[in-house]
Amino acid sequence: MWAVLRSEWIKWRKSPILWLIFVSPALCSLIGLLESDDMSGGNQWDELLHTMGIMHALLLMPLLAGVFSASVCRLEHAGGGWKQLLALPVSRGAVYIGKFVSVMLLLLATQAVFLGALLLVGTIKGYTDPIQWPGLLFSLIGSWLACMPLASLQMGVSVAWASFAAPLAINAIFTLPNIIIANSERFAPYYPWDQPVLVMLSQQLDDGPDAFHLSMTTLCSVISVSFVLFFVVGQMYFRRKPI
Amino acid sequence: MMLLQLLAVERLKIRRKAIWPLIAAGGFGVVLLQAANYALRYDYLMKLNADNPWGHMLSEMHFLAVPSLIMGLAIIASMIAGVEHATNSWKQTLALPLSRLSVYAAKFVLLMGLMFAACTMLAVGTVVLGLCLSLGTDIPYTELLRVSYLPLLAALPIGAVQLWLSVSLANQAIPLTVGVLGTVVSMFGMTLGDFVPYKWPMLDNQWNEPLIPAALGLTVGLLIYVAGSVHFVRKDVK
Repeated sequence: MWAVLRSEWIKWRKSPILWLIFVSPALCSLIGLLESDDMSGGNQWDELLHTMGIMHALLLMPLLAGVFSASVCRLEHAGGGWKQLLALPVSRGAVYIGKFVSVMLLLLATQAVFLGALLLVGTIKGYTDPIQWPGLLFSLIGSWLACMPLASLQMGVSVAWASFAAPLAINAIFTLPNIIIANSERFAPYYPWDQPVLVMLSQQLDDGPDAFHLSMTTLCSVISVSFVLFFVVGQMYFRRKPI
Repeated sequence: MMLLQLLAVERLKIRRKAIWPLIAAGGFGVVLLQAANYALRYDYLMKLNADNPWGHMLSEMHFLAVPSLIMGLAIIASMIAGVEHATNSWKQTLALPLSRLSVYAAKFVLLMGLMFAACTMLAVGTVVLGLCLSLGTDIPYTELLRVSYLPLLAALPIGAVQLWLSVSLANQAIPLTVGVLGTVVSMFGMTLGDFVPYKWPMLDNQWNEPLIPAALGLTVGLLIYVAGSVHFVRKDVK
């Protein structure tokens, strides 16, 4: 398993996809810097996380999860690489897990850069409120974990489709309605593209659409069940797929 | 004449690439989303806009259509250029007795033609949805045409940039990320300055004249297209 991950790392060590982890934090910092603080009296850092996080988790993270999944499959699709890779003494299951773990690691790195960007913007704006680390880390790690169903879904589509743009098109088609579906407490928790933003902002919003006030247990169980389901189906498909 | 033949060739290349379903998903998808929006809160929306139900629906349609338009331009541009990248066949295409200028022109015309089709689907779908929602038969056709087609003209620079990036870079992750970013930026369109091209499809400006961004888009878009094709003519292909 470790060898699979290391070979993945060698493949994209010098590719531009590593730069993609800076894309969302950079854009969100810009939004954070431009947005004027409202004096509603909440913790300044929470307000900032809300301003920056809504763009990050509602649109950019789901879209980037798709870009990352398509990217880790690109080399294999391009040069007949699947045959080469699968001729090596590794199981197909391990290859699939390795690719999925790579996507999750890229997303984790994005979260880390986002945290850095958040702290930087707050420092530039001269915030004096204490940082509430447990809440902040919960938002960042929670929304990362909430990407897992979505990432495994995208992984399956990316493996199945040789075209780079097709999985992304699917992803975009389902991500854009996020903005409307997030308002619905009945459907939002079951919509994989909405789960990251629901978890990220669950603690920050006192007033907001009801969907953000769901019990964490419901959300967690939906996320874990759908993750296991999508991942197992994707992996089974990959193990049987004729290359 | 040559351009027509080239377009026929390009059309063959994108056969079975699921591009038409994608165009339909874009055009009618926005209509479906709007239908869901109305289905969820019909009474509220109708009460809110009792004085001008069509105008309100069109402006919401426009707001939903702009991000889809920008994302669509990026994805379709990548798929059109990706045919040659995926099979490493730029050399083959360009070895034919064709000028490179016309190859590039055919791809650009194809991209814009497909997006035009998506906009038409949006316009037709909007009328059907409006009639189904019983917004009345007093359809504001001028406004409908403006909302359906002017954003495409205003987004011409974005299309030209996307095609340029997709054709010149083998790694499609880069143009597609640019498209993703553009989509997100366009949603903040209203807060951007009037000179930012990603605001133009919103057709909103300080002079309150939707023709200005469309005209600007047409001019700048053609300039970027010319720059892209000049670069393509001189470029070394793999």
